[in-house]
Amino acid sequence: MTTRFLKLVTFASAAVMLCSLNACSSFGKKKNGDSQYAGTDSDSVNGTPLADRQEGVSFTSSNVDRNKFRPVHFAFDSFAISSSEQPILDEVADYLKGGGGSVIVAGFTDERGTAEYNRGLGEKRALSVRQYLVQRGANAGKIQTVSFGAEMPVDSSSNESAWAKNRRAEFGVVR
Amino acid sequence: MKRNLLVMLFAAFCARSLSAAEAPTITVSKSDMIGIAVSPVSGADGAIVTKTVQTDLALSGYFAIVPAGSATFTVGGASNGGSLDGKVTDHGGRSVVASAYSGTAKSKAHAFADDIVRTLTGNKGFASGKIAFVATKSGRKEIYTADYDGSNVQQLTHDGNISVHPSLSADGRKLAYTGYKSGYADIYEIDLAGGARDRIAKYPGTNTGAAYSANGRIAATLSKDGNPELYVLGGGAHRLTHTPGVESSPTWSPDGGEIIYSYDEHGGPQLYRISSGGGSGQLLSTGHGYCTEPNWSPDGKKVAFNVREGGSFAVAVLDLQSGTTRTLTSGENPVWGADSRHILLAQGGALYLLDAQTGKRTKILDGLGKITEPTWSR
Repeated sequence: MTTRFLKLVTFASAAVMLCSLNACSSFGKKKNGDSQYAGTDSDSVNGTPLADRQEGVSFTSSNVDRNKFRPVHFAFDSFAISSSEQPILDEVADYLKGGGGSVIVAGFTDERGTAEYNRGLGEKRALSVRQYLVQRGANAGKIQTVSFGAEMPVDSSSNESAWAKNRRAEFGVVR
Repeated sequence: MKRNLLVMLFAAFCARSLSAAEAPTITVSKSDMIGIAVSPVSGADGAIVTKTVQTDLALSGYFAIVPAGSATFTVGGASNGGSLDGKVTDHGGRSVVASAYSGTAKSKAHAFADDIVRTLTGNKGFASGKIAFVATKSGRKEIYTADYDGSNVQQLTHDGNISVHPSLSADGRKLAYTGYKSGYADIYEIDLAGGARDRIAKYPGTNTGAAYSANGRIAATLSKDGNPELYVLGGGAHRLTHTPGVESSPTWSPDGGEIIYSYDEHGGPQLYRISSGGGSGQLLSTGHGYCTEPNWSPDGKKVAFNVREGGSFAVAVLDLQSGTTRTLTSGENPVWGADSRHILLAQGGALYLLDAQTGKRTKILDGLGKITEPTWSR
């Protein structure tokens, strides 16, 4: 009886040790998983539905000025707005608050992800920009988003400097 | 006692996830293959039929093509005027398959080959399945269709902008894709027989990632509510997920009850599983830091997906019963064929057929510019 109990205790503690190792190695992933269940708070921030598209207007149409604002750039595999990009976004927010027309934010990625993943990441970048603009007081109803994923690179070479230029969001201002 | 039981269950669970890194060794000896001879099919298009059946049987993975004298089974027949009478006899001369097929030489031959596979092995063949993919031959990304062996290539879209992510319905009659005709990413659906096209998702934001269930429902990623989330289309869009990150690339279970997809919150996308009615996604542990574009096998047992290895991509397969993941080959965008054994994948702008059981890789198609994002009907 005692031997069996001891064996069980040894097995259990070994298992617990192994498990804690396992838990440590996959901590980052677990965290991702947990946040799935705590989505309500983030939902209230991120979940401002997009207004209907304006007929006859898109990021690629000729009635849109794509050079009014400089693009903002992102870190690899990230959709976070870095502080270095905030001055550009503040300009866009001021334009929208000052009675400017609608803006289409287009999100792009570098070539290093797989195709459909990049389309999702590009859209998330555009939506992060939109969220920042809304937080700065811009009217959400005047901001549309679109993702081109890894299409339409600014620089089609395959090196760090090209990739950094391609991870971006651009602004199409409706004339 | 209750606590002991819990500890043991926990230990068993951990042992299972630890074993996920081990790759099983698979050996297939020549003796497992069925020796089959293909004698020339007579008739006007007999030569094409003979060659196609022989290729289909060899690629199925179940047969060794051998001379008539040493064959267990012999294939033959006559093909005239759009009709093929296909016959298979065993070495005693008894008939095991005798069926008629109509259509083009290729389609008759593929259907005959699938019948031979089904009759002699009990498994579903993949030769009749249609494939579609993106190619840049015209200078733009357009959608093309073809037979699985790379023959019968046809350019389907001529939109002249960006047409990507084709997805064939299980029966091969419909194709959904992401098109930028409007300047936004919208989901279009084409009826392949008649060519009629509908724009089925044009919500504000980006609409992409359409995937058909076995009975024709479509799941996709839409951002209309302010974040990229999964939806099931039809009678509006039914939202499945509510998260701060990015859901992409849904793929359906064979019974349509569940969806596996890729989820990314801080970089490092992972595979999740959710009820097709919605709810909370459940993490599928793979041991890989980058898991995208999953494709659920028609038998429901496995999921093929992209993993990142160094600077390039590889195809991995997660066995849903054992929880084991193994990396099969370099390349990306794996999709299962009807046999749940072969995978179509893209690498370096070409298409490859991979036997997931033996690791045998066959180049199917290139020379159309850059080929990416294949899909395969079942």
